[in-house]
Amino acid sequence: MDFSNYKKTFKHYTELRVQENSSIRFGLLNGSLVSNEESSNSGVSSRVYKNGNWGFSSNAIINDKSIRNVIKSSSDNAIFLNQMKNQKCGIILPENNYNYQMNLSTKKNKNNNVYWIEFISEIDNYIKNKYSFISSRRIFISNLNMEKNLITSSGTESYSFTPRSLLYVILTIEKDDNLTELMEVYGGLGQLEDNFIKVEDFFKKIDYLVEKLKQKSCGVYPKAGTHEVVLDADLAGILAHEAIGHTTEADFVLGGSVAAEYLNKPVASDLISLIDYANKVNDQICPVPVFVDDEGTKADDVHIIENGILKSYMHNKDSANELGMNLTGNARAFQFSDEPLIRMRNTAIKPGKSKLAEMISTIDNGYYLMTSSNGQADSTSEFMFGVVMGYEIKNGKIGSAIKDTTISGIAFDVLKTVTMVSDEMKWSSGGMCGKKQIIPVGMGGPAIKCKVNIGGR
Amino acid sequence: MIFDKILPYVISELKSKGIDKVHATTSISEKKELNIDAGKISLLRTTFQNSIFIEGIKDDKQASISGNKTSRNEIDTLINKLIESIRISKSDKSNDIAKFQIAESFQKGELRPDLKNMYEKLNSFNEHVISKHKYIKLEQAILDHTHSKSKIMNSNGIDFTVKRGEYGFSPMFTAKKGSLTSSFNYTSYSALDLTDNIKDRGYVDELMKQSVKQLHSKKNKTKFVGKVIVTPHCLPDFISFVENSISDGALISGTSIYKDKLNSKISSSKLSISSNPNSDLIDCGYFITSDGYKAKNIKLIDKGKLKSHLLGIYGANKTGGKRVSNDGGAITISRGDKSFKNMIKDVDRGVLLCRFSGGSPSDNGDFSGVAKNSFYIESGEIKYPITETMISGNIPDMINNIIDISSEQLNFGYCKLPWISFDGLTIS
Repeated sequence: MDFSNYKKTFKHYTELRVQENSSIRFGLLNGSLVSNEESSNSGVSSRVYKNGNWGFSSNAIINDKSIRNVIKSSSDNAIFLNQMKNQKCGIILPENNYNYQMNLSTKKNKNNNVYWIEFISEIDNYIKNKYSFISSRRIFISNLNMEKNLITSSGTESYSFTPRSLLYVILTIEKDDNLTELMEVYGGLGQLEDNFIKVEDFFKKIDYLVEKLKQKSCGVYPKAGTHEVVLDADLAGILAHEAIGHTTEADFVLGGSVAAEYLNKPVASDLISLIDYANKVNDQICPVPVFVDDEGTKADDVHIIENGILKSYMHNKDSANELGMNLTGNARAFQFSDEPLIRMRNTAIKPGKSKLAEMISTIDNGYYLMTSSNGQADSTSEFMFGVVMGYEIKNGKIGSAIKDTTISGIAFDVLKTVTMVSDEMKWSSGGMCGKKQIIPVGMGGPAIKCKVNIGGR
Repeated sequence: MIFDKILPYVISELKSKGIDKVHATTSISEKKELNIDAGKISLLRTTFQNSIFIEGIKDDKQASISGNKTSRNEIDTLINKLIESIRISKSDKSNDIAKFQIAESFQKGELRPDLKNMYEKLNSFNEHVISKHKYIKLEQAILDHTHSKSKIMNSNGIDFTVKRGEYGFSPMFTAKKGSLTSSFNYTSYSALDLTDNIKDRGYVDELMKQSVKQLHSKKNKTKFVGKVIVTPHCLPDFISFVENSISDGALISGTSIYKDKLNSKISSSKLSISSNPNSDLIDCGYFITSDGYKAKNIKLIDKGKLKSHLLGIYGANKTGGKRVSNDGGAITISRGDKSFKNMIKDVDRGVLLCRFSGGSPSDNGDFSGVAKNSFYIESGEIKYPITETMISGNIPDMINNIIDISSEQLNFGYCKLPWISFDGLTIS
């Protein structure tokens, strides 16, 4: 279907998007197949801007009649708001158009679904046969394809096919009536065939996971209070995304975020540069590459913090207009029925020059925190992250594993305590962000040495 | 296809192609959604959605498929894909579908919204915030109405029809005065009509007043073990651990600490928790469970005793436990006999926990996280708002250490909860 023909029916600023999200998911719980699911959600949406108001409409049916209907319905919705004494004439949104085609579907032969059930069954059997002390095994594999066609009245025509495939392994040990769980996620950008080539490739990773789980099952409670820590890439990434990233999304800035006060001011150690990458880092494609956003804007890297100074916010057309700043290409929608919101793409601290081992060796009494479970942040930049794998550091050496805990702090204060940044860049697998809609995001970076509050006993 | 013909066709086609058991649902919905962004009503959304979900079982092998297209060709494609998924699945005798029940139709709420009334209610709320809460920045507020019609059928002859119309309201806000910024806060409620003023529901006005006080939050500097009063907004963060621990996933995997605790005391005898999906107590519950049974209200904890697990068909077959016609949620916690005001008077040293930002509790219920939008209590009085304060403890211990449950409850439309005070939590 050629959607560009509908451009001539646009009467106001209009975006027309046709999108399909399709997914499969297979899961084993202690060897039983508990998830054998396939789903598809597709449709068409239109968003219209007129005299300061937005109208949006979507329909699951994709045909000529429904497309014309959503364009009309979205226009009627904007006009309804204008008629409720709510219009502001003369506002012209910043324009930017960019035509781009991105198809990241696999170039390999597709395996059928039975292959993937067998794939996770082999992993499950490996764990069951080798590690009889594991009391619970949950293995899930999933693939999500997001396919979008977008045209806008300002001239953008874009197509993107962005897949993500993930393997989750969640293991539990029961020891002296105590349960200890550890999860690892593998995979990322690409379809299953791209990320999961040979099942044997994962056996060593499973061995490593089980070893960490065993250590954690004998773990100690961390001591509550402020400590010197090394946050590995997973946690440094979630700090960049949750605690700094969200406060510098321009809709949060307009809604009262503390970052509104900090533009062009020092907010971090001068070792810290923090970027929301649009699509590539050093010519390597990012986990969630965005070349054109869902308002039709060319996606650029946003240099949020440069050498410790807050330099920029992330924008959609509304916020760039409101604050008189440049468009950045951060407007993204998850489903066809969702309107674009300001969302991060791939947020990370820029690597420094230190080595991880050297960073650990400089701490007499602290923690090396490796893996997070979840994270939340605030308009004040106060954050909380769950930590599910970490170790004590004693006299510069790794000590006992620790039990599950949380860390917290004011991110802009914590970043001022950074004294070392490692030279290695790692992306986490499977980041999802929730903000009215969920959406896949990339987060990662180097390890950083800083001070945070640890919840413990 | 005509809506009412979709599921009979799906079931008949799959049965004719040798599938033993079929469970299917379909729905059609329309949502109207008004949005305030950064203090202005600036977006109106209308979304039309279809959905179809089909589960099939043959020779004890199960698979499911879902989509949002209901043309004959699209449904035939789903059917063929499902048959292939069932073929490659693994046999498991625990797979089954709901038994026959008498056909029934259900209806609740206003099926057609009055858009102008929605606009006026939201606009009046916005003007109220501007005039009465001058330091509050309304980052976003959403008022929506969803009208849906659903069919649930299976090859054992169940045939349910549900029509419902529901309103939802969810504001998110921050207090800002000069360079001072509070933590953001939010709430939400669901309702069957829009007769009340929005500001009078969900404790919104009080939360905004609290946010302004939180502009001057103080850091907690000492670590102590104290009492914590958890507000109705924050209680689900802790109660959901109990719900998850008595549901299919945790019981099948054996990771639930409540797996062998039916009819045993697991909490203070002051605590009684029910799930009331099909009750006048809860405006926006549900009529039918996800596995196809007419929903029943059940007691989960009665005066401290665990009265039921939340096992569906698969979980019950897998564990040998008793299936219940209830998916959880729609939680009500029975009121106590002390006023919230008097509960505060009983706290020598502790925290009024209004929002909790915490990591997922471990399987044994250990948790820690940050007290957000919360207040320090000393000598029976709320002293000041706090920041950078962590609360840690163990949820099973916590519900055994209940001091009091308030006589007041908040009804959010999807749950009805009191304030509860707990002893013995670490505050640092």
